[in-house]
Amino acid sequence: MEAVRTIPDMELVANLRSGSRMEESVKAIYRNYFDGLCWYVMNNSGSRQDAEDIFQEVVVSFIELVQKDKFRGESSIKTFLFSLNRHTWLNELKRRGRALAREEKFEKGQPGTEMDVSHLIAGREAKEQVMQLVSQLGENCQKILIMFYYDNLSIKEMLESLNYENEQVVRNKKYKCLKQLELMITQNPALKEQLKNLLHE
Amino acid sequence: MNNSTNDMSEKLVKYLDGELAGAEKEDIERQLAADPALQEELETLKLAREAVRSYGLQKQVAGIHRQMMNEAQAPVRNIGSTRRIIRYSMSIAAGIFIIFLGITTYNYLTISANKLFNDNYRPYELPTNRDMTNLAISPVEKAYREKNYAEVIRLAGINDSLPVKENFLLAMSYLELKDDSKAITNFKKVIIANESEATNVRKEEAEYYLSLTYLRSKDYDHALELMNKIQDNPNHLYHEKITGNLVTKIKRLR
Repeated sequence: MEAVRTIPDMELVANLRSGSRMEESVKAIYRNYFDGLCWYVMNNSGSRQDAEDIFQEVVVSFIELVQKDKFRGESSIKTFLFSLNRHTWLNELKRRGRALAREEKFEKGQPGTEMDVSHLIAGREAKEQVMQLVSQLGENCQKILIMFYYDNLSIKEMLESLNYENEQVVRNKKYKCLKQLELMITQNPALKEQLKNLLHE
Repeated sequence: MNNSTNDMSEKLVKYLDGELAGAEKEDIERQLAADPALQEELETLKLAREAVRSYGLQKQVAGIHRQMMNEAQAPVRNIGSTRRIIRYSMSIAAGIFIIFLGITTYNYLTISANKLFNDNYRPYELPTNRDMTNLAISPVEKAYREKNYAEVIRLAGINDSLPVKENFLLAMSYLELKDDSKAITNFKKVIIANESEATNVRKEEAEYYLSLTYLRSKDYDHALELMNKIQDNPNHLYHEKITGNLVTKIKRLR
């Protein structure tokens, strides 16, 4: 059985912010908080599958907030995730057209946190559009751009795991892929606006 | 696009990547300050970069999510009770050993393609958290959500230009109805359509379920070929599903 080390909140946040030991940190979030939060969805008209989907969204939102420096440890991770989880699920219920009247009134406290959370979740559709947008690139382009801009690998490191002749070819390919994505955004002004709201917040 | 525009775009990307310094950097910053179109291009490039980062994060979390949900579904092992069980089991070690040996032998002798398939197969479920109110759901998708696989096949049969997504649902429906040969044909169509268009629409899903279909049809070589491909790609949606244990068992069946 995999040995699991408990990661303190501060260390977890620092890892997520820097992007180092990401997998270990995300797993820690799941191990520490999933069981405690899934009941909320399941007790409010949701299925286990809903609870899982919502938690996945919550984790992505939390990491993005941390990386944008919008979570600075004012509350515990648990409290913050609970708030994100509740907002995300209530939004989903509203989208499904059967919001629970009794849940309309949010719990007291942490008004600042609630505002930030609501604001972030307003960009959910845009996030789905990001997924669709980048998915439209070829597999190679996705791989190259993720390696460079998400995994922060150097061109040299990329060459080691890609089937290209030399670094210049990788560099050219990366350039063309980014330009292709840029063109796709330029050609869709509505999407561009949504991306601005989502990504530059 | 002419060469000078190309050169400028390349410089802009280098600037975005933080690869320009000194005079080159100052030069492009001067041009940026004077040229709104160039500023707009840089702004869009930044959006493209951020979109990739957001996509990368969502994909990574999705991968870990699947892994953790599988872990959550496994029997919960409580360390304290495990110790107690071990202590207790020591007293009847011989008995347990015999039972264990019996079960292991039984499993070994009864491994079959169908059993492996059933152990690993989970029906594909369409995402439930989409904006169901704003997105039109096609009749094929609706029938699939309702698990009306025969209807999916009927509807797909009257559509001459079936979208790739729905072609995948058609393949899944054949798989559900145990028509492996047609499932294989349609999974292949999904993969080929993606490869010819350089897209990734249900391609990884099709690869995974095609490998399981090959397994059930006892075409172990093709199943292993696909599973090895999925295993070798840590970014593959189903990377975590293809365990070493599964591959070993299939090799034993060959």
